[in-house]
Amino acid sequence: MEATIDSLLLGFSVALRPDVLLYAFVGCLVGTLVGMLPGIGPLAGISILLPVTFGLDATKAIVMLAGIYYGSQYGGSTTSILMRIPGEAASVMTCIDGYAMTRRGRGGAALCIAAVGSFVAGTFGVIMLTLVAPPLGAFALRFGPPEFTALLVLGLVFLAYMSATSLVRTLLMASVGLMLGMIGIDVMTGHFRWAFDIPELGDGIGIVPVAVGLFGLGEILSTPSRTVTTAVVAPRFRELLPSRAEWREAAAPIGRGSVLGFLVGIIPGSAHIISSFLSYALERRLSKTPEAFGHGAVAGVAGPESANNAASTGAFVPMLALGLPTGPVTAVLMAALLIHGIPPGPQLVTEHPNVFWGFVASMYVGNLMLLALNLPLVGLFVSVLRIPYAYLYPLIVMFCIVGVYEVNHSIVDVWIMLAMGVVGWLLRKFDFDPAPLVLGLVIAPILEMSLRQSLVMSNGHWTIFVQRPIAAVLLALCAVLLALSAASLLRRRRDWRARLAAEEAGEQA
Amino acid sequence: MSNTGHIDRRGLMIGAAVSATAMSLGPASGPALADDYPTRAITVINPFPPGGAADVVARPFASVVETIVKQPMVIETKAGAAGAVGAQFAANARPDGYTLLMHIVSISGFAEVDRLFGRKPKFTRDDFIPIARLIADPCVLVVNDQQPYKTLQEFMDDARKRPNALIFSSSGLYGALHLPMALFLKAAGLQVRHLPTAGGGPAVTALIGNNSQALVSSIAAASGQMKAGRVRPLACFGATRAASLPDVPTMKELGFDIEYYLWVGLFAPKGTPDAVVTKLRDVTRETVRTDAFEKAMKNIGQDVAYLDQAEFKTFWDADARRIEDAVRSIGKVEG
Amino acid sequence: MTLRRDTVAGAVFVAIAGLLWWLSDDLPVGSLAMPGAGMMPMIAIGLIALFGLVLLFRGAASPPITAGHWSDADHALRVIVATALAAFLYTRLGVLITMTLLLFGLVGLVERRRLVAAALFGLGVAAVTWFVFGTLLKAPLPSGSFWT
Repeated sequence: MEATIDSLLLGFSVALRPDVLLYAFVGCLVGTLVGMLPGIGPLAGISILLPVTFGLDATKAIVMLAGIYYGSQYGGSTTSILMRIPGEAASVMTCIDGYAMTRRGRGGAALCIAAVGSFVAGTFGVIMLTLVAPPLGAFALRFGPPEFTALLVLGLVFLAYMSATSLVRTLLMASVGLMLGMIGIDVMTGHFRWAFDIPELGDGIGIVPVAVGLFGLGEILSTPSRTVTTAVVAPRFRELLPSRAEWREAAAPIGRGSVLGFLVGIIPGSAHIISSFLSYALERRLSKTPEAFGHGAVAGVAGPESANNAASTGAFVPMLALGLPTGPVTAVLMAALLIHGIPPGPQLVTEHPNVFWGFVASMYVGNLMLLALNLPLVGLFVSVLRIPYAYLYPLIVMFCIVGVYEVNHSIVDVWIMLAMGVVGWLLRKFDFDPAPLVLGLVIAPILEMSLRQSLVMSNGHWTIFVQRPIAAVLLALCAVLLALSAASLLRRRRDWRARLAAEEAGEQA
Repeated sequence: MSNTGHIDRRGLMIGAAVSATAMSLGPASGPALADDYPTRAITVINPFPPGGAADVVARPFASVVETIVKQPMVIETKAGAAGAVGAQFAANARPDGYTLLMHIVSISGFAEVDRLFGRKPKFTRDDFIPIARLIADPCVLVVNDQQPYKTLQEFMDDARKRPNALIFSSSGLYGALHLPMALFLKAAGLQVRHLPTAGGGPAVTALIGNNSQALVSSIAAASGQMKAGRVRPLACFGATRAASLPDVPTMKELGFDIEYYLWVGLFAPKGTPDAVVTKLRDVTRETVRTDAFEKAMKNIGQDVAYLDQAEFKTFWDADARRIEDAVRSIGKVEG
Repeated sequence: MTLRRDTVAGAVFVAIAGLLWWLSDDLPVGSLAMPGAGMMPMIAIGLIALFGLVLLFRGAASPPITAGHWSDADHALRVIVATALAAFLYTRLGVLITMTLLLFGLVGLVERRRLVAAALFGLGVAAVTWFVFGTLLKAPLPSGSFWT
């Protein structure tokens, strides 16, 4: 422990040099800027900005990359909250209640809570990373395909808490998402599924164009300018900060989101992507006022935002402890480190202690820098909403096209975004909620893959899911949760969900 | 690292559009004069997600080329379908030397896979002019530390005793890490189950977690795990023993006529003028000899394995025959 | 007979499920022990059909579709057309021209603001975008295949 602290101090002595701090600042700034393009999250942000770090020495480059990483992540939250444009899959849940808060004039509060939540979660993640990375890395390795399958099934069980619509509508949307997620080459057999000879569909439909289309563009299509009164959304300065009550509401979700996100994040294989969905469902399950979710619940912003941030930090555990990239973001960060001459891996701590601890310290610094940069800017961000709507929405359409194209330089993605915008507009006409659709799309390919991988491993025996202890525990948890909801159904207790369904059926009828 | 990877940038391309607007039919819109090439930014297509094998080579390469030709070289990520989307885009790009492709060993396999499924190949090897090979990392067969095998023979004996009991992971069906294992299994007559994953990183993760027992990986991607003792190399796929693994025998020594490299090469679309190709070859030759490029390759655990067009063409033809053979031996997967 | 919200939605989803079923008869379903490429798609299609049918049969209780509900259709259609044009032109004319046209079209023609202001706004924003992202941050924006 003492050695760890000494090493960390060594790291800080590097990361806190004024010139290094300057690069952290620049990294956060350009990361935030690029992250505001819809679709540009940490993955695209780092890859686009990597050339900017060429020509710097390794330490400065890493510090700047950490800044870009955190900045681009936060930039996505900003657009989600203010304009209902999810920068990436993880921001979808932030969109829902964050944007609802903006509509109520609490956009500034939502931004502050997102920033503080991200900071707390990020810092918690880095502390855990500093203290317990090696044992956690070993634990993460026990998550093979069967465990992953069980985790995703658990995610699906939480689906019922995803949406403010009735259960049939939620499940229908999730099924459509599952279906969309099947498009592309089947990884196990090489068959093309519903790709219509378009090679760009080979890897399936991207989550980014779907999310940006359904939420961002869909919102614009169903909002003619004559219905917009700008005055409602532009708050006075005093109203920018969260109230005492809002802080109280946010505290516990931030804490839970941090822990949950970190645990999910260390699991190899894109699990971090579902952390914000899980956190949203969990908060709603625990909430005393679940019907407030979807209409600007503070916990619906605080939980998912923290979970998302903690998960991305958790993803560093296998990368730093084992040298394994657990997802696309860590893969690109590993490549960036490699290009700067730092091979992440089991030997990194022993062979390059100053680099390792410099990196860890720069993550602390990056988090803090981001908070320092963004809190004062909340007022500026919110005043974007003062732009007359007739000028604002063309601007948003433009940034959607630019951002979505930039992710993979694919014009097909832009067309998908447009199609999904139309779908999102139609869904809204028929009172469907697109969030479960996105969750279905996110889960479908990884669920199918891990399920079939498990069956390859067991040679076709489904018993593998009960023989492996972690998988068995997770599945038992699913069974208990399902039994609990079935029991409450049997007792005919009209919970919030039944009230919603009744309300939905009764309205305007 | 093997099958995924990449990033990009391309900023100044817009400059061309601006000048074209301003001057209506300025020089940029006329036919590119091969003598002046390049007069504007060159785009290199990286067909893999950021951070993949082609990306980590292309970026340092581009930064050196920029200093030589005094024009920007921009890397544009067009990932999808395990590298087929980017390759197809490059195959259909205007052959003027301003769109190039950085691709890996798996470029040879796409057409064969399409034939296997009765589809018309969207592009073939003939759609590209090879410019140069930049690196070539021989692959290595590794098992995880929970397995008892010390030699390839022990592994083969056990696999023969228990057909379809052992599992190997790969970067994906017909992927760059599936093909060499398929070649070996076919030559040795073994039955080992295949666990496809979503890329080189997940394939190594599956091995380390003992969800698979064997994997063919590039030496660079496995070196960290080998040093840490988590995986054990049994055989190398190079023509000669690798400098970093002097104790590991090659497949040839063990009696299998198999060679397999994870190489990265630069390609131009078919129809690119000869003068442009010559210029590109000269620039590439100059680039790979710079200290900056060599150091960058050292950083990613590679040695520069430069082959100029003629030798690269010979190498590629032989390599493609092996790849096509491997694809056919895998065949269509049941289910 | 009045068209009701859930009746229409349910019928559309059932039709979609039918269409997809017809599109995917070439995919091998495999077995439970070794699911094939067609197994999961079939399950997804089945679920869509199932929930679509539930909506369809419960539809009578849902609110009717009224014309007033579609009052934003003209706005939506104009934005869709403008976005489609922009997507079509984006890689052909490049970011600068396409985005100037898009912004001018939406602000000046769709929203009927002053044409001069709309033109200046379009050109200014497109130029700033190009400068900040394309030049300063070196993000590769499309330059337009038409020119080169």
